[in-house]
Amino acid sequence: MADIAFLLIIFFMVTINFEVDKTQVFLPKTTIRLEIPKKAAYISITESGQIRVSGGEEISVPVHPEDVLSFAADVVARDPQKEFVLKADQSVPYRYVDGVIDSLKQAKARVIYLLSEQETIDTSAGGG
Amino acid sequence: MKFKRGSVNDEIPTASMADIAFLLIIYFMVTTTFAATRGIDFSLPQDDDSPLVDKEESVLIEIQPGGVLLVDNKPLPLDNILEYLKPKLERNPMKPVIIRANEMTEYGYMVSVFDELRQAPDKIGMEVKNVSIPTQREINMFWY
Repeated sequence: MADIAFLLIIFFMVTINFEVDKTQVFLPKTTIRLEIPKKAAYISITESGQIRVSGGEEISVPVHPEDVLSFAADVVARDPQKEFVLKADQSVPYRYVDGVIDSLKQAKARVIYLLSEQETIDTSAGGG
Repeated sequence: MKFKRGSVNDEIPTASMADIAFLLIIYFMVTTTFAATRGIDFSLPQDDDSPLVDKEESVLIEIQPGGVLLVDNKPLPLDNILEYLKPKLERNPMKPVIIRANEMTEYGYMVSVFDELRQAPDKIGMEVKNVSIPTQREINMFWY
């Protein structure tokens, strides 16, 4: 019994995912969903437009929208190939997302992953 | 005073090991969060000097607040976008498609349009290769 228990413990220890960003958001739903590389930098935007950033290693910290550019530039300077993950609430007004994408473009980020949940038949039927 | 002799147990007591292990299992099960670690990828243009694609040559998808789509200034449901693009892509596979969301539009609608374009290989058998999402700053700088 103890052996089985220890095997399970090892399984959980290996698979545990330390989330760098614990912001609660309702993610948009998409059909295309690709695996996001580990250690990607995170930028989260809540419904009210609050932005938190994380370089991928540390817990995310809230930042002012104008500081996203300097954060992104710093991340890209350390690793030009770094992927960014945009974790934005599905009902956030687009201007907040626009500002973040613009900062990432100016910082010469290579690729952005728009974090999403799996779209199911039911949601796609009513969506638009 | 009497001391017990000869009854010292030289084995490590392992009877409670299973209990400890199960406590640890429960701890890991509770703290494991199945985080959403998937998303739709969007490559940013790397060429600094590339100007914004020509407005006249491209298909413009505007997203109004509430999710109303205007494709080349005509309202079109999301499901019909790929049908509309198909003949244009057959003529020019590199046909630029611009997604432009109103600043008050909810982000989810923009993602669903982008997702629809990414599904083109499954739905119409050809890829929409040239999708750009200009930001407001770029529009102000280059477009008008």
